Amino acid sequence: MDIINEAMRIFTDAGIGDAVRVTLAMALASVTISAFLGIALGILLEQCHFPGKRILIRINHTLLGIPPVVVGLLVYLLLMRNGPLGAFALLFTIKGMVLAQIIIITPIITSMVYSYAFTTAPAVRAFAVTMGASKWQTQILTIKEMKYEIYFAIVTGFGRAISEVGSVMLVGGNIEGRTRTMTTAISMLKSQGIYTEGVTLGVLLLVFAFILQWAAESFQKRELENENY
Amino acid sequence: MRIINLKKQLGRFSIDIPYLALAKGCIHGFIGENGSGKTTTAKLIANILQPDEGQILYDGLEPRSITMSSQKPYMLHTSVYENLIYPLKIRNIKPDEKAIDAMLQKYDLYEKKKQYARSLSSGEQQKLSLLRTLIFQPEFVIVDETLSNLSAESLELFENLIWEIQKKRCITWVLISHQPHIINELCDTVHFFSNGRLIESGRKEQVFLHSQNPIVKTYVQRQAFGLLKEG
Ligand SMILES: Nc1ncnc2c1ncn2[C@@H]1O[C@H](COP(=O)(O)OP(=O)(O)O)[C@@H](O)[C@H]1O
Ligand SMILES: [Mg+2]
Repeated sequence: MDIINEAMRIFTDAGIGDAVRVTLAMALASVTISAFLGIALGILLEQCHFPGKRILIRINHTLLGIPPVVVGLLVYLLLMRNGPLGAFALLFTIKGMVLAQIIIITPIITSMVYSYAFTTAPAVRAFAVTMGASKWQTQILTIKEMKYEIYFAIVTGFGRAISEVGSVMLVGGNIEGRTRTMTTAISMLKSQGIYTEGVTLGVLLLVFAFILQWAAESFQKRELENENY
Repeated sequence: MRIINLKKQLGRFSIDIPYLALAKGCIHGFIGENGSGKTTTAKLIANILQPDEGQILYDGLEPRSITMSSQKPYMLHTSVYENLIYPLKIRNIKPDEKAIDAMLQKYDLYEKKKQYARSLSSGEQQKLSLLRTLIFQPEFVIVDETLSNLSAESLELFENLIWEIQKKRCITWVLISHQPHIINELCDTVHFFSNGRLIESGRKEQVFLHSQNPIVKTYVQRQAFGLLKEG
């Protein structure tokens, strides 16, 4: 009984509930925006040929490898009171954290969508021409034909969003009930020597990661198992 | 349709066709060795590739009514049925499901109506691709080796289908094939490609029986087009 009571107490703990809520709100908002940006950019990048395209792709790849804490620092500098975006008062808010996350996640989704479009979109376009599809119908078809890969990219982005620490800590400030996420709560609890709550949050994150992984895998599997080579 | 001074460079390969006329209402055959430029020319006609130089005069044909069934058919990531009706869908035509079921039945695809199209065998995919190409009543149809994996029985069905369409609507066809049977039975005229050039073009009897070009002669002999009866 003790264990159950203890578990109940932890799970209903306001701090933990808040951290989960903040994490999910931040992740959902940033992934939604990044998904729109990343899908559009990935597909445009594949279709358009312009000078400097290669450099743009290289910049995108560089952004993939940039440590999130550096992004956090840059966004912090942008958002701080006398920074260029200081007037919007986004520092230490979820919106500010979302901004940092978008900078981290959009390149991931863009590059995943781009590299898949690169190998498949030309065949889709050729097919669409033979069917007499309009430009717009061709675009829709291209996206539809990559839908599982797009889901996969989104799930990957979501996984990144919930597990991010450095940038979120810098930009959000780890304010209890407002910008404290599961990851920043864990790192704070650990430094205070409180392990039970920390481990609980860790387990929850693990569960989230597991669900995401499972979802992503099932998208891919469905594709491959039914193919007749 | 007329092709004038068409040029296209692809890597080290180039297409160069000074003139090619594809008479309306006829069944044309494109023949020639592998890699001679048949598919590339077909793609240029179908507007999948853009020429570097020259032009294709469509003589009143709408771009939307030109279609091509590819040598590697593209199957949408969905069911057989959804693949089949895609051209209707984008034209806002409501599919007549009864007629479609009958069609699937005739071509032995009815049991697979709900099946994932990419799980079909290659012959089945080719049948589906052909039906999908024809379902919206195009005016100009290119069939790029799509009949190559069909059993004799299916092949006959499709030959009959082509005759039926010709009787009813008299459209223009380009059949790309190495099968003497298809060329002999169906085509009115043949166009012989070699290394990106059109080296012979005319009525099939004339090309097969009277061509002076050694490349054409050798190919015709090897492919047993000699079986062709005169007249
Ligand atoms: N995108 C491309 N880049 C380079 N070479 C190409 C490309 N597409 C086709 N080719 C070359 O053009 C030649 C003709 O190809 P194709 O028209 O497909 O021949 P076929 O007569 O067998 O249909 C081939 O040698 C092929 O390698
Ligand atoms: Mg070919």
